[in-house]
Amino acid sequence: MTEGNGRLERAIDALKEPVQLGHTFDQRVMAEIESGPEPRAWAYRFWAILDWLKRGRPVSVSPLGGLALTAGIALVALLGRSMLESEGQSTPVAAAAYGSVVQFVIVEPAATAVSLVGDFNDWSAAANPMQRMAGNGVWSVTVPLTPGRYRYAFLVNGSIWLSDPSAPPTLDDEFGRPGSVVTIGEL
Amino acid sequence: MGIYDVKGESDAVLVERVLAGETDAYAGLVARYRDRLGRYAVRMLGNVADAEEALQDAFVRGYRSLARCTDPDRFGAWLFGILVNRCRTLGKQRARRHNLVVHNEPAVAKAAVAHSEDRDATREAIEWAVAQISATNREAFLLKYVEELSYDEMTVITGASVSALKMRVARAREDLRRLLAEVESD
Repeated sequence: MTEGNGRLERAIDALKEPVQLGHTFDQRVMAEIESGPEPRAWAYRFWAILDWLKRGRPVSVSPLGGLALTAGIALVALLGRSMLESEGQSTPVAAAAYGSVVQFVIVEPAATAVSLVGDFNDWSAAANPMQRMAGNGVWSVTVPLTPGRYRYAFLVNGSIWLSDPSAPPTLDDEFGRPGSVVTIGEL
Repeated sequence: MGIYDVKGESDAVLVERVLAGETDAYAGLVARYRDRLGRYAVRMLGNVADAEEALQDAFVRGYRSLARCTDPDRFGAWLFGILVNRCRTLGKQRARRHNLVVHNEPAVAKAAVAHSEDRDATREAIEWAVAQISATNREAFLLKYVEELSYDEMTVITGASVSALKMRVARAREDLRRLLAEVESD
């Protein structure tokens, strides 16, 4: 275990220690509850029915109906695929793909360590360390990837997150820091 | 208010009793989840007063909307989701208010650390470091490592995807590791 990991584990243990709330906390909660309206049992049944309707369930289909359903699903899938391709969202410019092995490259002359982190390695800094190529500040790593869309970033010196300047950025905004997207098609 | 021994009564039974009009049965659910959810709120918001406000609000909202808890056996997870939202809201409000008063909180916190006893200093250093992590990453980190939830459970509670949560946890770990090293080297 490195010193940094040891510090982190000790911090987690400290954060797991119980906390002490005020000794009247429960009474305050119940007093506020008793001063307001009660939940309605009929409302429970309403939401339970709504929940049941939203759940998936087995459906019986006749052979002829099944054939029609299969044809419909195939048509929707084909249309969806052609629409996605026409929007140009699948450009793997970040990496050169060789079969299912993908090479990721970044230029960081001042870095002492660079890791590739992404969906495919659970954002682990240890999973895919990059190798410095002799004398030119270029860092590289190759990763086997199955077809799909992946988010990734470069972790420089263990703390700086960089997106790939040559790749599309992540399309959603749920991440607080830069990230990139690579799409691996059927090769 | 009666005294409720909640041993042997499942969440579903207590929820059913509350919905049948036994308001006091809710005290059993409060007692069952107060400590665990209280710990999350304190770690997330950084102080007991704000944590109690968020937790009380979550319990009251949970009671008023109990009819919407359609899987009463998982009342705890459902309530945790409400608390996570209350902590987000209160955290944003406190951050806005705090920014008007304290302009250099890290320096203040570090100064406090420097003048405390060793054990307190360690605890305060950890609290300071946790507070520096972005709220989104801190939330994911606490749910994963302190509350020890699975990513699937976290997805239900936070509404974020497993992939996003993994990224947030990884970033929180890196931030915390760096911040703890910084504090130790000061």
